[in-house]
Amino acid sequence: MELDLFVRYGPDLLRGFGVTILCWIAGSLGGLVLGFAIACLYRWSIRPVRWVIEGYVELIRGTPFMIQLFILYYGGPYMGLVLTPVQAGIISFVVYGSPYFAEIFRSGFNAVPKGQIEAARCVGLSEARIMRRIILPQMLVPITAPLTNFIIILSKETAILSVVTVPELLYETQTMAAETFTYIEPFLVLSLFYWLMVIVTSWLGGRVEARVTRHLKRT
Amino acid sequence: MTTQTPSATAEALISVRNMSKSFKDFEALRDITLDVNRSEVVCLIGPSGSGKSTLLRCLNFLEAYDTGEVRLEGELIGWQEGTAQPRRRVAAGTLRRQRQHIGMVFQQFNLWPHLTALENVAEALIQVKGLGKKAAQEAAMAALAKVHLSDKAQNHPANLSGGQQQRVAIARAIAMEPRVMLFDEPTSALDPELVGEVLTVMKEMAAEGMTMVVVTHEMGFAAHVADRVAFLDKGRLVTLAPPADIFGREPDDPRVRSFLQTYRERNVV
Ligand SMILES: Nc1ncnc2c1ncn2[C@@H]1O[C@H](COP(=O)(O)OP(=O)(O)O)[C@@H](O)[C@H]1O
Ligand SMILES: [Mg+2]
Repeated sequence: MELDLFVRYGPDLLRGFGVTILCWIAGSLGGLVLGFAIACLYRWSIRPVRWVIEGYVELIRGTPFMIQLFILYYGGPYMGLVLTPVQAGIISFVVYGSPYFAEIFRSGFNAVPKGQIEAARCVGLSEARIMRRIILPQMLVPITAPLTNFIIILSKETAILSVVTVPELLYETQTMAAETFTYIEPFLVLSLFYWLMVIVTSWLGGRVEARVTRHLKRT
Repeated sequence: MTTQTPSATAEALISVRNMSKSFKDFEALRDITLDVNRSEVVCLIGPSGSGKSTLLRCLNFLEAYDTGEVRLEGELIGWQEGTAQPRRRVAAGTLRRQRQHIGMVFQQFNLWPHLTALENVAEALIQVKGLGKKAAQEAAMAALAKVHLSDKAQNHPANLSGGQQQRVAIARAIAMEPRVMLFDEPTSALDPELVGEVLTVMKEMAAEGMTMVVVTHEMGFAAHVADRVAFLDKGRLVTLAPPADIFGREPDDPRVRSFLQTYRERNVV
C-alpha cells in the first residue's frame, strides 16, 4: 500500500467525504420534512389533492434517481433554474427521498389505533395537537426501523451524485484512481467511509428505537 | 309495551329528534327520537348490530348523522343551525367546544399508551381547558381519586389491569367536567372479576347526579341503576321505558322478549 498516495490525496478524499455527508444529511432531512408534509397533506385533504399526491409518489418512485438528477441539473437551466452541482444534488435527493419517507409516515399514522384518536377528539384536542402528542410519539415505534433503513440506502445513493460532478467521495476517489493508476486501495478506503456512515446510522437508529419503545415495557 | 316518547321538555339535556344515519345504503339508525333529562341514566340495550354504538357516536358527532337533530342544552351538535340543505358542518373549533361537554368512554378504553395515567387525564386539561401544568395535575389527581386510582397516577397503561385502565379512561372524561357521559359497553372487554370495579364507579357517578347514556349488556346494571331503558332493534328505538316495565314483567314487544330470553337462558344454565 502506497501510503504517500493517501498523504497526497487524503485532504481531497476527506473533502469529498464532507460533501457526501453534507448532501446525505441535508437531503435526508429535507426528504424527511417534505415527506412528512406530503403525508400530512394526504391525511387531511380532499380527494383531488390526494390524487395529485398519489401521482407525485408514483412518478418519483417510478423513475431512477439518476434520471431525476439529470433532468434537474441539465434540464433545469432550460426552465431558468441554474444550480451548482451540490445544490442540484441536495434538491434532487430531497425530491427523490420524499415519497418513500411519506409512505413510511403514512403507515405510521395508520399504526395508531383509530380509537385513540377518537378518544382525543372526544376531549376536544385539536388535530394538530393530536398529531404532536398522540400520533407522532407512538408512530416513532413502528417507523424508526424503516426510516433508518432508508437513510442508510440514501447514504450509498450519494455516489450517484458524481455523475453531475458533485465533488463527493466517489468523485474524488475516481479522480485519485485515474491520476495514480491505483484502484484497489482508494476503493477500499471509499468502502470504509460508507461503512462508517452505515454503522453510525444504524447505531443511532437503535438508540432512537430503544428510547421510543421505553413506555411499552411492563415494569 | 308501546314506545314511550317523552314530549320535548325544557329541562331535557340531550334531545334527539327524528335522527337517522345510513352507511352507504345500509340504514343503521332510523328516525330516533329520545330525550335525556338532567341527572338521568338511560341504558341502551339491544342485539349486536342494532345501532347502539352508532346512536351513541352520533350524540357527539363521531358519526355525522344524516337527518334530524341532536341537541345538547338546546345547541345543535355538529351541523350548522338553519334549514339550508345540504347542511354544513360547524367549524372545527366549535365542534371541539361542543365535544368538551360530552364525555365518552369506549369498550376498548383507548388510553394513550405512551402517557402515564396522570398524563392521560391532564392532557386535555392543559390543551383544551387551558389550565397550567400544576393546576391540571391537581385536577387530574382529583379525577383519579374519584375512580379510586390515586396510587396509580404514575403508571403507564401497560402496567394497569383492564379495570384500572377503564377507570383511568373514565377519569380522563370526567376531568373535563362534561354535562353528560356516554359509555359504549364499558365492561365488555373486561375479565368478569374486573367488571364490578368499573360498575361501582359508574354507580357512584350516577348517584352524584351525572347524566349518563350507557350502552351495556349488564342487565343488572340496567335494571338497578337506569332511570329508563331504551331497546334498539335494527336501527329503530323499539321501547323506551323504566326498567321495571322491561325487566319486572314479561315485556309486550316480542323482540324485547326474545332478546331478554337469551339472557335468562344463559343465567339459568
Ligand atoms: N363505519 C361504518 N360503516 C359501515 N357500517 C357500519 C359502520 N358502523 C356501523 N356499521 C353498521 O351499522 C350497524 C350498527 O352498528 P353498531 O352501531 O356498531 O351496532 P351495535 O353497537 O348495536 O352492535 C351494523 O350493522 C354495522 O355493521
Ligand atoms: Mg357496539
